[in-house]
This record gives sequence, structure tokens and C-alpha cells, in this order.
Amino acid sequence: MPDATFLDSTELVLNMGPQHPSTHGVLRVILKLDGEKVLGTDCVIGYLHRGVEKIAENRTYVQFNPYVDRMDYVAAVSNSLGYCLAVEKLINVEAPPRAQTVRVILTELNRIASHLLWLGTHALDIGALTPVFYCFREREEILKIFENYCGARLTTHAFRIGGLQYELYEGFEQEVKAFCDMFLPKVAEYEELLTNNRIWVKRLQNIGILTAEECKQYGVTGPVLRAAGVRWDLRKAQPYCGYEKYDFLIPTRQNGDTYDRYLVRMEEMRQSVRIIRQAVEGIPDGPAIAKVPKVLKPPMGEAYVSIEAPKGELGYYIVSDGSTQPYRVRVRPPSFVNLQALDRMVRGALIADVVAVIGTLDIVLGEVDR
Amino acid sequence: MAEEKPLPPKPAPPKPPATMAVIPWQAELAARLKDRFGDRISELSSYLGQNFAIAQPEAIVEILEWLKSEGDFDYLVDITAVDWPKKPDRFELVYILYSFSRNERVRVKASIPEGFRPQSAAGVHLTANWLEREVFDMFGIEFSGHPDLRRILMPEDWQGYPLRKDYPILQQDEHWVHENVGIESGQ
Amino acid sequence: MIRAFLKRVFLVDLFEGLRVTFRNQKPKYIYTEQYPAQRPKVAERYRGAPRLNLNPETGEPLCIGCNLCALACPESLIVMTSIRDEKTKRKTMNTFLFDTSRCMFCGLCEEACPSDALELTQDFELATYTREGQIWDRKMMEEGPKPTRYKC
Ligand code: SF4
Ligand code: SF4
Repeated sequence: MPDATFLDSTELVLNMGPQHPSTHGVLRVILKLDGEKVLGTDCVIGYLHRGVEKIAENRTYVQFNPYVDRMDYVAAVSNSLGYCLAVEKLINVEAPPRAQTVRVILTELNRIASHLLWLGTHALDIGALTPVFYCFREREEILKIFENYCGARLTTHAFRIGGLQYELYEGFEQEVKAFCDMFLPKVAEYEELLTNNRIWVKRLQNIGILTAEECKQYGVTGPVLRAAGVRWDLRKAQPYCGYEKYDFLIPTRQNGDTYDRYLVRMEEMRQSVRIIRQAVEGIPDGPAIAKVPKVLKPPMGEAYVSIEAPKGELGYYIVSDGSTQPYRVRVRPPSFVNLQALDRMVRGALIADVVAVIGTLDIVLGEVDR
Repeated sequence: MAEEKPLPPKPAPPKPPATMAVIPWQAELAARLKDRFGDRISELSSYLGQNFAIAQPEAIVEILEWLKSEGDFDYLVDITAVDWPKKPDRFELVYILYSFSRNERVRVKASIPEGFRPQSAAGVHLTANWLEREVFDMFGIEFSGHPDLRRILMPEDWQGYPLRKDYPILQQDEHWVHENVGIESGQ
Repeated sequence: MIRAFLKRVFLVDLFEGLRVTFRNQKPKYIYTEQYPAQRPKVAERYRGAPRLNLNPETGEPLCIGCNLCALACPESLIVMTSIRDEKTKRKTMNTFLFDTSRCMFCGLCEEACPSDALELTQDFELATYTREGQIWDRKMMEEGPKPTRYKC
């Protein structure tokens, strides 16, 4: 029997998740509602917490590498790249040019794969059923390249500290080029399906606006920040892996709403193809891995290295105490920080918009919870 | 603020024999920081080309504020902590900042003893909210003045703070799994 | 203005979308694999079920009992013992336990192995009916899994 205060109040608390299909995993959002209007949210996260940072303290530097793949599992290659770069910084080693170029190709392929998964599921959330099939079809081609290259499709463990473990397989260049040629018309196809679609536009435009100022306040990075008009991408701002050699643009939009974030990501896929095309043309010869001691013992010290992952700035802060195991590894996950802005974005919106906003933030719960 | 402990002892904690091979951080910003905060910043160094300042824990929020308004460090990248159980000031708080206009990163660090309650930075950078919650969750560092200090990743009724070095991971895991899931832990 | 109105009335955006869908309806664009009947061909470097290779000529195990794989594994799931051969004074592998239920197929053990004895093969069907069945002993490691082949 509800008490009188309950009957008087117009507020309703609704639990969304942790297994709601549109929360992209096990995110639980407690919504405070007035009718259909959202008055406030509270995210309950941690269902997927595996203690990656604690695991790191009990593994050697080399052994921890496969674990980072499991954080943002749709962009495992990016995770691995960030970790390898951070350890390389600590031991003052740079990957040879060949390894760097291959790293660029694989991370950009991975960025496309991540954005494709985002596009498919985001469209699915909004109610457009078709794109997800097409997106997965193209993503499959990327995963096949990964599988041929390193033997795994999702949690690739593709890079090693100092460079690459696997040499390129026969026909890698052709396959990548064929993918690029195949893929660009497909992006146009997705856009044909969505960009001018009336329902799509109505559901996305002016939803979940996050201005540039708010983005900075909340520490939001990646496509969300760029859609708000800030031309900032770590690949340009602080280039790593020789990104300064490639000619590409950072797409930005001005409104910072869900529709703009969609457009930014679509353009990013095109730019990634552009980078891949340039990189695959000139893969330099030479060793694939730098000289790294068998037993890694970085000197006492610390380093913070971050890369532009598909979701935003992915940083690794590693503290070494001079032993074979990292003393502390802190992962700065883009999804975790971006998710914090959810409350700001959906306040005053409708329930259906919450679904759209969670989709547009492009979170991966494995990375939020680590 | 009332239950805040008195100032930690003045002299810097004795460093373990092997130390970081740091070089002094010499830049215009470092000089200005030194000017503004005097001996509340005990060290301005740079390691592997990454600059950091070691400050008194009380001054952290003020420094963040100053860096934001004067230095244009408007993006708080991360807050984290490192546990050094052997040092007198057990935890090292690390704030990583970035400035879009200068394209530069800087770390601000402070050592705090167990039980010390540093001031929350959530008033300066909104993003500090969750990041501090995570530090609290993992290390048990309570931030005073934090709007909503709850556990974030671990379950609400979790005992202990997992990222402390003396945290018994197996025992806790077995206990919790047994209690809540009703099976023996697979470890 | 009028154009936009007409576009609206005649549902142009809808037909544009439908055009794409129909373009993809050709039977040659079918991607679904009929799995148990049609088995996928995995890549050569695929990291699947572990195997202890035997010397093809003598049938002796290639493993030299160095324990490096066990040390390299992040999950410490390989437990092996070795004995010293009386005659040749060489170490040989005695028992070998590999817990596939905890393996993440990262390939570090394979890379650590100096004699190419341990290999992650292209077998990908590792399901068993029991938890204990996931722990493979030396015999299983040498013979490899024998998944049921279905005919459909
Ligand atoms: S593949 Fe990785 S997890 Fe599995 S046994 Fe080898 S080293 Fe261990
Ligand atoms: S590393 Fe290879 S040779 Fe050494 S024990 Fe393992 S399987 Fe045998």
C-alpha cells in the first residue's frame, strides 16, 4: 500500500537496465521521471568490473598486454597500442618504422570496426533495423583481416611492447586495399539510409546537446567533443606512431547534438580509410620489433601516454618501481568519463531520448567498468 | 573540513634509494607556479619530457583553479592515486591536466597520509565527480566537500579498498562470492 | 520549399532507403554460414585449441620440459612436471596440465616455447559437458580435441 506522499508526488523512479538492450551491456540507469520527462539520472556501473588495474600489479609488463584488449573489446587494437606506447615510453624504446606503419593501419581499421558497431547498434536503438546487418557485414571483413594477421578477431593481442609479434601475411596489402575500395561506397550507402531519413533526423536533431564548454568541463573527448566544434584530435595534437606523416582531416560540427555526432563519426570513417590508403602504400621494410630486453625492467619512474581511441582519449598512467611488474597501471578510459555527461545530456529530455543519448555516447561497458 | 587532520610533517618523505631520474622543469609556467604558490609547491620536475609539480595536499584545489584560470588548463584528464604503504605519506594523489590552447599536459601530485581528507576538485572541474568517486572506491581516500561520495565500481557493501597494496584479493573474493552468489569462488 | 513539401508527400526518403535495401537483396549477397553443416575455415594463425606437437619422425614429444610456457602464461594455467632421462641426461616432460577454461588464447605460451612443441591450433570447438573436462592432460594435448561432426 503506497503511502500518501507517493500518491501526491508526480515523480516516478524507473530502473533502466542492467540488461536493457539499449544500454549496450550492463549499464543500469536510474531515471527520475515526471511523466515522460527525465528529471535526473543516476548511473549504476561496475557490473563488469574485473579489476584490470589490480591484475596489472600482479603481472609482468608483457603478460599484462592481453588484458588491455578486454577493456574496450570492440577496439582492442587501440587499447593494445596505448599500452604498448606507454611501456615503450617508460623503457625509452621506439617501435621501428615498419611496426609503426602497420600499427597505424590496424588501429585505423579498428576505428572503423568500432564505429561500424556503434552505427549499427545506435541505429537499432533508434529503430532503424537495417543498418546493423550491413555494418556487421563490413565489420566482418575487417575482423577477417585481423584474424589473418594475428589469429584472433576480437581480443587480438596484435601488438607487443617494442613493435609487432607477427609479420604481415601474404596478401595483407591487397586485402586492405580491397577493403578500402569496397568500404567507401558502403559509407555512402549507410548515409543514404539514414542521413536524410525523416525519422532519423527527427529523433536525433537537437537531442542530447553538449556544448564545447560543457565537454571540457566534463572531460568528454573523442567524436562527442568534435561534434561540439572543438577541432581536437590527439592524432593531430600530439601525434604518435607517425600520424603526422599522413594527410587527413579532423571532422567537426557545430551543434553538439546527437545528429552531429553521427555525422562526425561517419566522416571519421572516411578519413580513416584515407589514412589507411596512405599508410598501406608505403609500408617500410625493416625489422618489425625493436630490441627489447627479454626481462622488462623499466627504471623507477612514471609516464602518462594517451592515444585517440575510437571513443576518445585513452590514457595509460604507469608507475614503475624498477621491478618486472608495473607498480601501478591506471587506465584513463574514455567511455567512463564520457558516460558521466549522460546526466547533463538527458536532463529535461524524454525517456526515448535517453536511449538515443546512450547510443550516441558510444560507451563500451567493458571499458567503463574495467 | 572540521575533521581534517593537522598538516602532515613538513620535511619531504624520505625517498627510497632508487629514485626517478628527474630533471627540473624549466618553463615560464613553472616559474609562475613557483611565484604564486611559493613553498606550497615542493618540486617542479620533468621526467621523460612530462612535467609535474608536487604540491601540498591542501593547495591542490587552489592550484587546479589557478591553472584553469591563468594557465588555461581547462581539461582535467584524470585523477588517480598510487599506494606506497612503506612511505610515511601513504597515498600519492595524481591529477593530470591538459590545456587545449597550449597543447600541453601537466601533472599535479600530492602525498597524503592515511585518513587525510583532501578537498574535492568537483567544484573546479565537473569531471572530478566520478573520478574522485573511483579513487575513493579503490583506495578509500575520502574527499571532503564531494557532492556524492559513494562507491562507483564495487558493490555498495564491499569491504576494503581493492587497489591498496595490502588488499587480500583472494580472501575477499571468496568471501563475497560465497555470500552473494552462493557458490565457491573458482579461484 | 515546394520541393521539400513534395519530397515529403511522395515519401522520397523512404524510397531512397528502400532502394538500398533492395539493392542488397541479391542471393549472391548472402553471408550467413550454416555452421555445423558448413564449417568455417579459420585463418592459419588462428589461436585455438592447444596442442603438444610430436616429432613427426620418431613420434617423441618435442617438448623439452623447460617450463617456459608455464612461466610466460599470464593466467599461470599450465602446470607441467619434468623428469631427467637417465640415459640421455636430458630433461623430458612428464605430465602436462592445461586448463583451457581459463585460457584467453593470447599466444604468449606459444611464443615462449623454444622447441615449437606447444602450439595453438585451428581447432575452435572446445565445449565440454563438465568443468573438469576443460582441463586437458598430456594425452589430450597430444591428440587434440575430437569434436562431433554433424551432418545436416
Ligand atoms: S594462450 Fe595465453 S592464457 Fe592461454 S595458456 Fe597460453 S599464455 Fe596462457
Ligand atoms: S615451453 Fe615448450 S618445450 Fe618448454 S615446457 Fe612448454 S611446451 Fe615444453
